[in-house]
Amino acid sequence: MKVVSMDRNVCIIAGGMSQFGVREASLREIFQEAAKACYEDNPAVKPKDIDGIIVASAYPERRAFQTHLAPLVAEHVGIKPRSICIRCEVLCGSGSGGIILAYGLIKSGAADVVMVIGAEKTYMPQRWETFYSELASQDHEFDAPHGIGLPPPIFALVAKQHMKQYGTTEEQLAMVSVKNRRNGMNNPMGQFRQPIDLDTAMSARPIVPPLKLYDCCALTDGGAAVILACEEKAKDLTDRPLVYIRGTAQASVHNMSANMPNWTTWESLKIAAQKAYRDAGIRPSDIDVAETHDCFTISEIIEYEDLGFCEKGEGGRFIQEGKSDFGGQVPVNTDGGLLSCGHPFGATGIRQGIEIMKQLQGRAARQVEGARFGLTHNLSGGIATHTVVIYGRDKD
Amino acid sequence: MIGIPYLEGKYAATMDLYSQQSKEFNRNYKFYEHLREGRLTTTRCRSCGQRMYPPRVMCPYCTSDDLEWVDLPTRGKVLVFVEQYQGVPQGFEAPHILAIIDLQGELRFTTRIVNCKAGELKEGDEVRMVVFPLPPSLVETRNGIEERERVFYAFEPVR
Ligand SMILES: [Zn+2]
Repeated sequence: MKVVSMDRNVCIIAGGMSQFGVREASLREIFQEAAKACYEDNPAVKPKDIDGIIVASAYPERRAFQTHLAPLVAEHVGIKPRSICIRCEVLCGSGSGGIILAYGLIKSGAADVVMVIGAEKTYMPQRWETFYSELASQDHEFDAPHGIGLPPPIFALVAKQHMKQYGTTEEQLAMVSVKNRRNGMNNPMGQFRQPIDLDTAMSARPIVPPLKLYDCCALTDGGAAVILACEEKAKDLTDRPLVYIRGTAQASVHNMSANMPNWTTWESLKIAAQKAYRDAGIRPSDIDVAETHDCFTISEIIEYEDLGFCEKGEGGRFIQEGKSDFGGQVPVNTDGGLLSCGHPFGATGIRQGIEIMKQLQGRAARQVEGARFGLTHNLSGGIATHTVVIYGRDKD
Repeated sequence: MIGIPYLEGKYAATMDLYSQQSKEFNRNYKFYEHLREGRLTTTRCRSCGQRMYPPRVMCPYCTSDDLEWVDLPTRGKVLVFVEQYQGVPQGFEAPHILAIIDLQGELRFTTRIVNCKAGELKEGDEVRMVVFPLPPSLVETRNGIEERERVFYAFEPVR
């Protein structure tokens, strides 16, 4: 009897993304564009080297009317999987969830080289259908009938409470979008490349007060793909500095709004972050660069706090004092984040992983000099589930 | 021509904003029967005494399936609320008001506030439950297509 019991190091060795935005392309075409960009990023990896595929996509059943998606994507991107071929879904955390699954399979020896590819087609021929489908993301029986599903009201409720509790201001929220739009100027694949100034952000039309237009990320079509490999294979398949996955976690303590333990301290995020830091054997202060889930400006502010970059309630001051900008304590969303790139749910965590890989290899569009540790974070649903992945230049 | 001709007049649960509430699709159909009586109810575990919301068929605390129906208060106070003017979801009207309310210390949840104009609501306002009809769902039976009535709840300011 052969017992597969290994504990191997896992590396990220390639990554690419499609153009994000309002796309004149179908879901399967966006998947192909993401795969093409990923193959081009590392021409040493051929489809035949890849033994598994994990496909992250939140809405194919509604917006592309397609289940059994992973084999379809594999067929279109030239992969004949022999270790794993499956779709995974946890809405906005789907992409990072796929990376965690691939990591576990490779670490254990159940797979060697896996592509994690995520894409979303969100714009439909009739715009209302997109918004209607969004209501499927919350508890369909008990939250959605209140019209809960589209996220702006949820995050406006969060922002109001955080402002009241900690004195966070609308200006501090706006500073997050100004920073991320500035970072996004250098990202040709992002949805928005125009910088904005504080006045523009502050005078933008209200969406759900206190949130205004630039406080909210857009709906986006787009895809992204990465390739993960065991260290041994990674050494054969890339000459670039190796980037290791060092810690992962996905945590959820509630789903329905009625069971949200705390609106301004995100317990699942703290649980996920603590576990990922422990895996990696590091502390929050060791993180050199982070991609956090800035679906709304208030999200990024709370994430500074609950990821441990600053004290609870200090998130507003953290952005105001430039601590999350280049030259600060930990540059956050260096490729523009969701606020600039847009947010095709299944692709987002993978897009973040690509940016961290490039930062740690020293080849990012805007480089954080000497970065050794990078972190990605996603929240999903009614701020119910949080996903954290830590990448490092060193294996231990 | 608008729409898909062969779906004209047909009911598709996959595109339904509301869930299947009737007995043949939902073991917790009593939740909706109670709503029709003006009662907001949920399940409590007879084994461990914990109450949960929404109602279940298994206790998530001790895994017992010995559950009973209990009433929740139908009056509460607004803790925090938001008003949405644009991009209101399909089937809802602007302003779409959502509030986190406290049901007399027994439960806090997010609810829609109805019968309330923009700018009227204040934190601390008292609200009470209102039950309203939803479009029925359609069920194929031996007797043909039958309608199943549905209801849901929201809260309104007490004036
Ligand atoms: Zn129990």
